[in-house]
Amino acid sequence: MTPDCERADRYAAVRAAGRSWLHAGAIDEATLKTIEAAVPDDRVRLGPVFRLLFFIFTIIAVTSVLVFLVMVLQIENSGSGGLVALFTFVAGAGLAVATDIQIVRMRRSQGGIEAATSLLAISYLMGSLAWCILQYFHALEVHGLVVLCFVGAALAAAAAWRWGYWLYAGTAAVALLGALAGLPHGRLSWIVLPLVAAPFLLRLSESPRLPPSHRSSFTAVLAVALVGLYVAVHLGSWDWQWIEKIGGGARVMRPAHRDALWWLSVAATALVPLVLLGLGIRGRRYLLLILGAGTAVASLVTLRWYVHLAPLWIVLTASGALLVGLVLGLRRWLDAGPGKERGGFTVEPLFQDLARQRILEMGAAVVTLSPEARNLHEEPKFEGGGGQFGGGGSSADF
Amino acid sequence: MNPDVAKAIPELAASGVLPAEKAPLFLRVARGELLSVHGELRALLYAGVLLITGGVGLLVKENLDRIGPVTIAMGIGLTAAAALVWVIAKAPPFSWRPVPSPHLAFDYLLLLGVLLVGADLAYVEWKFTPLGAHWPWHLLIMALLTGVAAFRFDSRVVFSLSLSTFAAWRGVSVAVFSVSLLHAKNTVRLSAIVCGVLFAILGFILARMDRKAHFEPVAVNLGWLLVLTGIGSGIGESGENALRWGAALLLVGAGLAAGAFLARRFPLFAYGVLAGYVGLSRVVIGMVDLEILGCFWFSVTSLLLVLGLLFAQRRMREPI
Repeated sequence: MTPDCERADRYAAVRAAGRSWLHAGAIDEATLKTIEAAVPDDRVRLGPVFRLLFFIFTIIAVTSVLVFLVMVLQIENSGSGGLVALFTFVAGAGLAVATDIQIVRMRRSQGGIEAATSLLAISYLMGSLAWCILQYFHALEVHGLVVLCFVGAALAAAAAWRWGYWLYAGTAAVALLGALAGLPHGRLSWIVLPLVAAPFLLRLSESPRLPPSHRSSFTAVLAVALVGLYVAVHLGSWDWQWIEKIGGGARVMRPAHRDALWWLSVAATALVPLVLLGLGIRGRRYLLLILGAGTAVASLVTLRWYVHLAPLWIVLTASGALLVGLVLGLRRWLDAGPGKERGGFTVEPLFQDLARQRILEMGAAVVTLSPEARNLHEEPKFEGGGGQFGGGGSSADF
Repeated sequence: MNPDVAKAIPELAASGVLPAEKAPLFLRVARGELLSVHGELRALLYAGVLLITGGVGLLVKENLDRIGPVTIAMGIGLTAAAALVWVIAKAPPFSWRPVPSPHLAFDYLLLLGVLLVGADLAYVEWKFTPLGAHWPWHLLIMALLTGVAAFRFDSRVVFSLSLSTFAAWRGVSVAVFSVSLLHAKNTVRLSAIVCGVLFAILGFILARMDRKAHFEPVAVNLGWLLVLTGIGSGIGESGENALRWGAALLLVGAGLAAGAFLARRFPLFAYGVLAGYVGLSRVVIGMVDLEILGCFWFSVTSLLLVLGLLFAQRRMREPI
């Protein structure tokens, strides 16, 4: 990122905080205007709906123009496909330059178009490189994929660093793990690398020296690394050799059951969520808390898979009731603390975006809890069996 | 933790921009010294409700013979009653305006109660068939009950469930409408369009009468999605029918986009633009039917649309 982009990024973070204070009623419109004047915006930005529309139609426009050119110039009839790969590479490089011009010179940010051209640039470059690599390494397909993953990781990391998109940083981390899986001792590197990198990534994700976009990028890499670590030590992943299968499947072997490594995996499956939750609570870090909770759920599901504790309906109902009880107890405990907080945690909404969360809840409720529709074509036939188990949300069949 | 905000707060407070009494709280949050888990606890409560309803569904399915229908119906009914009694006891007085939730768990226990009542009603209907040949009416009854609960306890989540249950009564599954409606037959398609129009009108009335006007976006968005998906499902048909549905989608989408442009309704504008473009493309591709011209069509029209959107966003000025 250029110094200009960095400053704009830092100012945007302050303005976003100002808007969250306004939504929470902590400041008024006039104060927000003064804050916005103190940290002015020199970028071209759009709201979320227009951003999405520009993103979609830029993708359609650029892709159809390129396909049209390929057809008109009859490049697809070049035989080996090399000309198409070259054309794709040139298009990708051109789109990368176009993205850079938009972000740096035209000062566009959150505009949709530059996000679309950046995505297309990476996709086209990867497509052409994939053709070259797979042509070159065609005798050893697995190694070709490893090289492709390394190249993809480097490309996505460069895009994240230059343009500040955290999504590309996360993708780079995923591609790197994919590449490591194809190397000898892939599982070991999935364990060692995150363990070594996590403290540095954590520090970088909070470093005041870095602009917010880069901090978010390191947060995304940290999240991928920790998920990778959990997958590598997970009992099911060990038993079914998931990582070895990702790496190509050639070296897949059934591990010895209940040997020392198996028991180590059992212990790690239980411990990783606890450690993440502990670190999250101690450092008040959302990411570690969310990853800790997510991996804890995954470990409990794994426990249910290996050990038949009780019928599934009891497990579901009891864990749901336990969860509700736990939340209510936690809320009461935090609320009873001095100033309605304990250890730096509070249940007060503070400056969280509750409106967005409610929209998500509504969407989730409509998608997951809506009842199944009656079949209009079956009526008026009646078989005495009634309808489906549903209404007001329930949708399971009897 | 946000170091940039943490750095800016003392400067803004010193220059008098930020109220001095608010600055310490802002600073603690920005430094990560105070963390709100409000949203996370709400998400966990939602997950808890999902787990319980999933468990109850399995209980009924797997233990029907062992436990007996009356016990099951009573068990679910009592649990639902317990949740709803708690909600009634905690509920603030009714108002046509938005009412703040009195408790973190209020919305979720209401949702649990409503879901369990729905499950119980459907189970009783399935097992004892009190409605006989009119069994689908239990969905309408449930939609009405859920709607009353949504209005009384001011829950938009429950209101959205009420609308989707009503749609289910008319044969439209909102849960998977993106999949099922695309392969729908005419009856379901028309049903979806009619439901969508009804929801949009309901939203209009609520806003016009200023009665629970904050429910309007739920009804209007769901309504237009149903209308557009219903019409859009017709473009997959063969021959003239596809062109007719494509033309209808173009007209309705363009109309919606124009109306939303004037009213500055951003999501509705997006639905209208996307639907209109799909409809127009379907009509043109259906008539031209040439590979290269098809590509030419998409490249030119999408570029023109980007230019049109640039004009529209300058006029509409959507907040960031």
